[in-house]
Amino acid sequence: MRRERKETKEKKEKRRGRVMWGVIYVAAFLVAFGGSVAFKMTYNPFGDEFSVDWNDSVGRVYNDIAYGEGEANKFDLYLPADDTKSSYGLVVYLHAGGFTSGDKSGDAEILEWLCQRGYVTAGINYTLVSEEHPDASVYSQSMEIKESIPYVIAEAEKLGYPIDEMAISGGSAGCCLALLYAYRDAKTSPVPVKMVFGAVGPSSFYPEDWKCYGFDLGTEESDAAAREMFGAMAGKELRAEFGTPEYDEEIKDISALLWIDENSVPTLVAYGKYDKIQPYEGSKRLLAALEENHVPHDYYLCEHSGHGLQNDNKVYGKYMRKITEYLDAYMPIDETM
Amino acid sequence: MTLTQKRILILAIVIVTAAVLGRLAVRAVLNVLLGGTLFGGNFL
Repeated sequence: MRRERKETKEKKEKRRGRVMWGVIYVAAFLVAFGGSVAFKMTYNPFGDEFSVDWNDSVGRVYNDIAYGEGEANKFDLYLPADDTKSSYGLVVYLHAGGFTSGDKSGDAEILEWLCQRGYVTAGINYTLVSEEHPDASVYSQSMEIKESIPYVIAEAEKLGYPIDEMAISGGSAGCCLALLYAYRDAKTSPVPVKMVFGAVGPSSFYPEDWKCYGFDLGTEESDAAAREMFGAMAGKELRAEFGTPEYDEEIKDISALLWIDENSVPTLVAYGKYDKIQPYEGSKRLLAALEENHVPHDYYLCEHSGHGLQNDNKVYGKYMRKITEYLDAYMPIDETM
Repeated sequence: MTLTQKRILILAIVIVTAAVLGRLAVRAVLNVLLGGTLFGGNFL
């Protein structure tokens, strides 16, 4: 009887121990899983390498300066603290957002970082495609950017920062617009455009490249869908057959690579091989056009990443460091001025 | 190996597995949204 009781007690203790450890395992799993998710989402592999502690000793920013009639026609201007130079280089950075969203304020970090290097920097908004602005398009946005540049330069000059050269850049949609300005509109710029840089910006609009949208199938439906989307982006109806010179002529307004020639500005770009938002295949055409025309360029491919270049920190870091190399090479700051 | 040692070893394996799965879960979600591979590239 006594022995039986002892055995039952031991069994109970064993069971209690098993339950307790089971609870510990589950709790540990949940905590470790949650911690890992939080860490992965917030971890910045570059620390403060590409950011700056922004304060008056670094520079000052003027927000929402108007450059046109539209509600979105505004820019932020970042001025370096050192206002003693006789001239400055301007770096424009255009925001991402698929042409339908985004704001210049989202690029404050990179604009501040570049400003801290001694450049006047500007983030420019453009009219986004929306229910209120159904007629907005990549083309109309690119024209707004073109119209904004003289205002940015004039405002900088008014504030005591004469601009004598510029670079244009952006991310995703902003990169698309930056490439367009650099290759299509640079000759109309009030100051020489020295270089362009950006990441994951579409520059070509051939259905066979846009596999991620199913436009490469070559069916009537896929062609019609491609025609509709590219037409909406170009802000006009596309009538020419795909793959013909007439089509190139129609789409040229928004296809930056079709403007590349031997006089195009040095170009630094980064793309993701598995991009689902804009096709990696299109970036290969951009690369080919740069090579064919002997345009100085650097092309970084993030082999494991999509549109966010999120899985290749090493390559992304190299791309960011290359920006400073490009600025030093093509738009150096003269410390003696 | 005592029972407690075994349990601690299992606990360590559970924690490491959960940490790797958490990282992969974020990566998988981002890959669905943006594109990308589950393995390769940066670990952290």
